[in-house]
Amino acid sequence: MDRSAQAGPVANVLAWSVLLFLLLPISIVFPLSVTDQRFLSLPYEAPSLQHYVTFFTSERWLTSTWQSLVIAVFSTVLAVTSGTLCAIGCWKLSTRLTDLVRVLMLLPIIVPSIVYALGIYRLWIRLDLLDTYLGIILVHGVTGIPYVVITVTATLANFDPRLEQAARSMGANLSQTLRWVIMPRVMPGIASGAIFAFIHSWDEAVLILFIASRALFTLPRRIWDGINENLDPVMAVAACVMILLSMLMLAGDLWLRRKRER
Amino acid sequence: MAALQHSLTVRRLAKHYGPTRAVDDVTLTIGRGQFVTLLGPSGSGKTTILMAIAGFVQPTAGEILLDETPITPLPPEKRNFGMVFQGYALFPHMTVAENVTFPLRVRNVARAEAERRVAEALDLVQLGHLKDRRPSQLSGGQQQRVALARALVFQPALLLLDEPLSALDKKLRAELQVELKALHRRVGLTFIYVTHDQEEALSMSDSIAILRDGKLVQEGPPGTLYERPATRFVADFLGKSNFLAGRIVERRNDGFAYAVDGARFVQHGPPPAGDDVLIALRPEKIGIAAEGEPAPNTVEGTITAWSYFGTSFALIVETAAAGTLQVTVPAWRCPVEPAEGRRVRLAWTADASVPVVRD
Repeated sequence: MDRSAQAGPVANVLAWSVLLFLLLPISIVFPLSVTDQRFLSLPYEAPSLQHYVTFFTSERWLTSTWQSLVIAVFSTVLAVTSGTLCAIGCWKLSTRLTDLVRVLMLLPIIVPSIVYALGIYRLWIRLDLLDTYLGIILVHGVTGIPYVVITVTATLANFDPRLEQAARSMGANLSQTLRWVIMPRVMPGIASGAIFAFIHSWDEAVLILFIASRALFTLPRRIWDGINENLDPVMAVAACVMILLSMLMLAGDLWLRRKRER
Repeated sequence: MAALQHSLTVRRLAKHYGPTRAVDDVTLTIGRGQFVTLLGPSGSGKTTILMAIAGFVQPTAGEILLDETPITPLPPEKRNFGMVFQGYALFPHMTVAENVTFPLRVRNVARAEAERRVAEALDLVQLGHLKDRRPSQLSGGQQQRVALARALVFQPALLLLDEPLSALDKKLRAELQVELKALHRRVGLTFIYVTHDQEEALSMSDSIAILRDGKLVQEGPPGTLYERPATRFVADFLGKSNFLAGRIVERRNDGFAYAVDGARFVQHGPPPAGDDVLIALRPEKIGIAAEGEPAPNTVEGTITAWSYFGTSFALIVETAAAGTLQVTVPAWRCPVEPAEGRRVRLAWTADASVPVVRD
């Protein structure tokens, strides 16, 4: 093996520390979720699944899961549709103005979400959208757009513009070119963007606290309330469920990328 | 087949990008069923003209007519021109057959009919057995053939080819030149071909249009362009050439004599206006003459460098009168053994060279 490609001991230690730092908080959640106690703690005597039973039979937690899923799905659809159209439009026009538009589209991940939440809160009061599905789907959808714009723009950067010219020279109109040539080529980018937009909505905790009051209780909000009120171990179960779904989505993304490279 | 043939006229075409004139007032007529090559170095505007014909470039001024019909305002998808792109532009997510079916799919051709025509087109380029492969599984030459089949399957009015052979190695390129020419004869369509490779242009075209800096310099059959280049640029770009700058010293009806640094040479053909003249002389039209052998034009010199090409020797000869001359001599009947420093006597006839315009 090439010596220069091998990391020294310092770099190794650093890399592993960073990895552990990232992984430990996740790995602690699972032992907490199988505790045999009635409060948030590690198992005393033997691991138990009692809190999993509670989670999957409690109407409160199931409703929250369902709400989170519905909101994530619809906001993903919103983010993917507008993000993809924006990325393709910017790519097709490709002027200095569209470069600006692309940067503007990234604002939701540049502006701190607490600032964003404040602004949305004031606006939603006026539009009467507080504590509604529409209200939170709009917010999650809009803040999910950057992920889609980034991934689709990246795929388009590798797209040979001659493919589009070839399609048109053969008589394909804009919609046929879009459906049969451009979309299949950017599909992997759209899928990646969709997965990230979904995860973004699925674990979003700041905006929901501002917008929801009685009707909306997504999983992150339920966990937040649980931590403030009682230390019920079901929270850890909910956290595990959230992590599991996110990991499944990321695995799906990896699988798609693998498939594309082949 | 004749019914499928169309002529194309480019009339006073111009395309400006800011102050740059990519195409500057080009007028060109491409006859029915002809194989016409737009030849020029990079930046000469040849691709811009092709893209304007295809509809991807909106001209600043001028008109493009298919037969007698102006097509300038039509978008590319309405022009019905087949096009082979540089790098082929095959759809990587489709198989060979799906690629070739694409133009029929956009035209809603019935399935059975489409399958028949795709099979026909693939047979035309001898690729029927590879129809289920993906483009990435094909060699460069095979991809090029798929691109051709795809551009021909919908019976286009014209076939436009943008440097289709530039990505291939030399040997394959030579093979495909022969194939392309044969294909042109078989399908009988009008072909418009863009290249910067003068050998490609000479070997395939019925007619060549030479472009430089967005302007059309000379147009004509390959033989005429090679034998009677109008300008120094054409003589230099199409093949190799030596240039002799002289003064006319004697005019006759069928020719003239000119002086270069005191040496006197004769030239066949009508003398150009003015006293200064520039003569283009092809390396292969210069011969090596024995001592005392009579010839209309002779010059003595020393070989300063030489290379062997199997078929020929290329010599660089330093002469007192005509400066440095490139000379190509068939290897199997080279009268002298080439060696650096050897004295040789060069000779050429009065009709071997041609006066050209300085540009």
